[in-house]
Amino acid sequence: MSAPTNAPTPEAPRPSRASWVLVVVAWILVGVPLLWGVYTTLQKAAVLLR
Amino acid sequence: MAGLLAKERIVARPGFNRWLVPPAALAIHLSIGVAYGFSVFWLPLSRAVGVPCPEGMGFLERMVTAACDWKVSDLGWMYTLFFVFLGSSAAVFGSWLERVGPRKAGVVAAVCWGGGFMISALGVYLHQLWLLWLGSGVIGGCGLGLGYISPVSTLIKWFPDRRGMATGMAIMGFGGGAMIGAPLADILIKRFASPTSVGVWETFVVLGAVYFVAMLCGAFGYRLPPEGWRPAGWTPPAKQGGMITTRNVHVNEAWRTPQFWLLWGLLCLNVSAGIGVIGMASPMIQEVFGGRLIGASALSFAELSEAQRAELATIGAAFAALLSVFNILGRIGWASLSDYLGRKRTYTVFFTLGVVLYAAAPSAGRLGSVALFVAIFCVILTMYGGGFATIPAYLADMFGTKYVGAIHGRLLTAWSTAGVLGPVLVNYIREYQLARGVPNAQAYNLTMYILAGLLVLGLVCNLLVRPVAERHFMREEGTA
Repeated sequence: MSAPTNAPTPEAPRPSRASWVLVVVAWILVGVPLLWGVYTTLQKAAVLLR
Repeated sequence: MAGLLAKERIVARPGFNRWLVPPAALAIHLSIGVAYGFSVFWLPLSRAVGVPCPEGMGFLERMVTAACDWKVSDLGWMYTLFFVFLGSSAAVFGSWLERVGPRKAGVVAAVCWGGGFMISALGVYLHQLWLLWLGSGVIGGCGLGLGYISPVSTLIKWFPDRRGMATGMAIMGFGGGAMIGAPLADILIKRFASPTSVGVWETFVVLGAVYFVAMLCGAFGYRLPPEGWRPAGWTPPAKQGGMITTRNVHVNEAWRTPQFWLLWGLLCLNVSAGIGVIGMASPMIQEVFGGRLIGASALSFAELSEAQRAELATIGAAFAALLSVFNILGRIGWASLSDYLGRKRTYTVFFTLGVVLYAAAPSAGRLGSVALFVAIFCVILTMYGGGFATIPAYLADMFGTKYVGAIHGRLLTAWSTAGVLGPVLVNYIREYQLARGVPNAQAYNLTMYILAGLLVLGLVCNLLVRPVAERHFMREEGTA
């Protein structure tokens, strides 16, 4: 999914490169536990495929 | 501290990256989503003392006794408390949230949810059931409601171009919370279990602290867009068949409109049907297919040995686990798709496809096709999750973005209603069928047809939704 660039006001600067680093870190912090949860759940569900 | 939480303090500075808001919302929703996984505590809690309570012990006595074990059925009331207090607090505090902003609401939610765990830990330590209900059920339930609605209006304001996707990302977290919380709790319970403790109060303390911190991080990550902000290169659609307004309806006016009650009805009906399926998924697949699931096709469920039934129970749990994955996929998938399809069309798909699938499930059972049966329920669960995740965007389309958090809060009473209605309906019909001598394998057929009927009613509600009448809109416009 492409992220449209955002600008708080028409004249305001676009998000800096550093802010994208922060975005990646924030998504990792919530994404890793979520992926672990999904992985654990799929492992449990794998019994259905046997 | 109060200033730090003030709405005025969290208006984003120029250059703020709006993609930081969804992970903040996810941190809160992943934390409160563990509510779905609370059943992981029931078994250890039901043998904490090691002495069963005598038959016929009164309700009040069971609440305060420390001399014998709690029943799983008494512990299960926690879910009812969750649903009731989630909906009630969201309805009552929604307007307050719009006034004070999402950060203060998020912090209060963290205090309620984390604090609720601590009170529950004390309840387990002292073996007082009422403390458990008060801590997690009532106070925690209020945290659930506030936490659930806290990011909705903020996300919609940051993503006017992708309202469905934005709220879908957060609400996906509520579905995914139990996937993290339940196995984590299981690990902690085993870690803390000792000859003198089943390990639950210690687990509550750890989880309460972890969720409190995670929710605080989320709340402090919230930022509001400046007044008049819009994504670069995006202009509000001039007119899309009148189903997306650029104006606002006040929260106190919204619930006087037929549109609010039609959306309340369609959410309630969609959730009732879905909760009904979730509650019976595990026993249903076991009873419908019996021995077929373990390579003993000739044997029905009633003819299986204890060991074979235990094997079936594992498969039932696997089925429920698979459904939970599709539940969260539906939340992000359908909500994102609704940005392109439109909200009304998305719900039309939910209800029409839902009717077909619910009605087809008994046939899949009769055909003995496990794969088809599983596939049907996986799709149904995506639409259950999708219904939750798409409704905030539907509300924003109909009533504007200014009060959407508060309006969404009031609409969540539909969830509370469905949380009671769905399981009661499904269990009652099943018991009625069994009492009439219907075999276990066919006891769910009538239930499926009745749930399909609920979806037909939901479809009617959805088709009746029209743009809100002019008189309901606010005169002074202050669209964010």
